[in-house]
Amino acid sequence: MAAPDGEALDFEPEDDDLMDEDGGATDASPRAPPLPKLKSAITSSSSLSAPMKTKGRGFRQETDPNRNTRLAASDFDSLTTEGGPGPQRSIEGWIILVTGVHEEAQEDDLQNAFGEYGEIKNLHLNLDRRTGFVKGYALIEYERAEEARNAIENLNGSELLTHIIGVDWAFSSGPINDSIRRKNVRSSRGERRSRSPRRRF
Amino acid sequence: MASGEEESGEFYLRYYVGHKGKFGHEFLEFEFRSDGKLRYANNSNYKNDTIIRKEVYLTPAVLRECRRIISQSEIMKEDDNNWPEPDRVGRQELEIVMGNEHISFTTSKIGSLMDVQNSADPEGLRIFYYLVQDLKCFVFSLISLHFKIKPI
Repeated sequence: MAAPDGEALDFEPEDDDLMDEDGGATDASPRAPPLPKLKSAITSSSSLSAPMKTKGRGFRQETDPNRNTRLAASDFDSLTTEGGPGPQRSIEGWIILVTGVHEEAQEDDLQNAFGEYGEIKNLHLNLDRRTGFVKGYALIEYERAEEARNAIENLNGSELLTHIIGVDWAFSSGPINDSIRRKNVRSSRGERRSRSPRRRF
Repeated sequence: MASGEEESGEFYLRYYVGHKGKFGHEFLEFEFRSDGKLRYANNSNYKNDTIIRKEVYLTPAVLRECRRIISQSEIMKEDDNNWPEPDRVGRQELEIVMGNEHISFTTSKIGSLMDVQNSADPEGLRIFYYLVQDLKCFVFSLISLHFKIKPI
């Protein structure tokens, strides 16, 4: 079990407060929402989907002016891909995701099932923070792609502790294809985003 | 209801926790986008000056699991109206787009369940509190397995 601790940050409170809480601005939408549907909800009543319902302080209050730049930098590290769409290799191996994992599953149950296809280099069987039971997924690392592929082919849709589990690659070498995004009716979505002046990436 | 939301439609998630103080702006932020891109940034000036920024594309299966975790929490039914306002100790932001709902919640840091209990909306804040932990746990596993770093 390698579940990291839930509390990621434990900063000491400081006296000097730079948090701009009282911006006083009345901008109802501090940042262009990341989705095109919001616009369609406002401008088009013939849209297939219902109007977007919004909720929360994020729509009413001015937020941190740096909010748009925090994730906006272009120098995010990523692993280079070796051509073609498909599963993405991680630093030390190949990671697969198991879903539908029984809440009382033990690491041994997964070891037994997935160890058949190769040595498991890493296994994360994370717990639901409220209940303490297994959250429902596991991440498993194999050293070699064939091992991961075999596990996916043989165990996807199989039964583990009375539950049907899903097994698939965790990482991909590129974005999810538009055709996979079933309800995405707008084909020029990426363009729309990049033209937005408040684009963050 | 859940399966439909998990399978299709718009999806976006961003979580931020941070504060500004003696060591500058220290924060953790991650984001899931509907094209599968996961971005992770962690800036702690305390130990060193470098910000950690990682990004990787996830498969639809991973996005589906993320949606499942959100649906199951029923966070979209909540509202941050009665949650503690962010303060000098810090702020948290959770923005989610799923189906035709878009939430953008903001509150203070939550130190423990005691803070949740003593708030004006313990039921709603508890959902937020546990969801955030489950999401962090998911993201930390993904980032640490992929990049072999300890994300915290």
